Amino acid sequence: MTQERFITLVKAEQESLRRFLLALCSGDAALADDIAQEALVRAYVASGSFRGLSKFSTWLFRIAYNCYIDHTRRVRPEQVPLEDRAALRVPSDDASDASFRYQALYQALDRLPEKEKAVIALFYFEDRSIREMADILQMPSGTIKYHLSMGRNHLKACIRL
Amino acid sequence: MKEPSIEEFLRENKPVVPDDPTFILETRRRMAEVEGIKGEVDRQRRYGRTVLIITLVVGVVIGALATALAFLFPIEPARLTGESFWEGVRLFLDGWKYILMPAVAVSAILLGLLLARDRRSAELL
Repeated sequence: MTQERFITLVKAEQESLRRFLLALCSGDAALADDIAQEALVRAYVASGSFRGLSKFSTWLFRIAYNCYIDHTRRVRPEQVPLEDRAALRVPSDDASDASFRYQALYQALDRLPEKEKAVIALFYFEDRSIREMADILQMPSGTIKYHLSMGRNHLKACIRL
Repeated sequence: MKEPSIEEFLRENKPVVPDDPTFILETRRRMAEVEGIKGEVDRQRRYGRTVLIITLVVGVVIGALATALAFLFPIEPARLTGESFWEGVRLFLDGWKYILMPAVAVSAILLGLLLARDRRSAELL
């Protein structure tokens, strides 16, 4: 794959990729962009082995998710059990409260285990199908559905709508 | 009034990615760095391969010549004193001719494999 072809494909995917990583990084845009850049470098190095068996975007998201997992293994924060955390109050629908709503969303996402966060981000923010998610996260569809259900339940417990 | 579900909340609050025009520029910069590293690695690999091929070719040619010499011009060791340099060489070759042959054959096979792999890599590229 030529450099220009790769850049063209990345341009089409960059917003979606950065949003996925932004959700995984619980709103830390600088960290999300760092991981995105690392993922793009890894993807570019491996682009010779991309045979088109899956969509470019699926392949790129898989690399990005692996980069994120590598990052979390390097910097593992102390985990606090979900039950010990107080539910977050989400402000009203008022547009002026949007930033607080995002803050509440990111705080809630931050409390989820990585796999649940990833399935929630892919399903609700990127509108990916279960099959695509299974390809990206390298898990069976049943496991994806389980994490999706668990993630929703955990978010319900974390966010008071 | 119906309470908003968590699904609606998530779909209505997709994270907004801050617009960053430098993102693609940074990607291009990193890709150029990768190209630089790839170029350097390729140069070193080509250099190593060239040195190996030259060594094997020299080994095969000299080994084949020495073996041919030993077989084409058989000597009677008893008649050679080994005092002069060439007599020493001939005595040495005669003593080692059955070791030299497999060594030459192995070098030739290695050379063949290496060149075949290089051709395959070139075709893949």
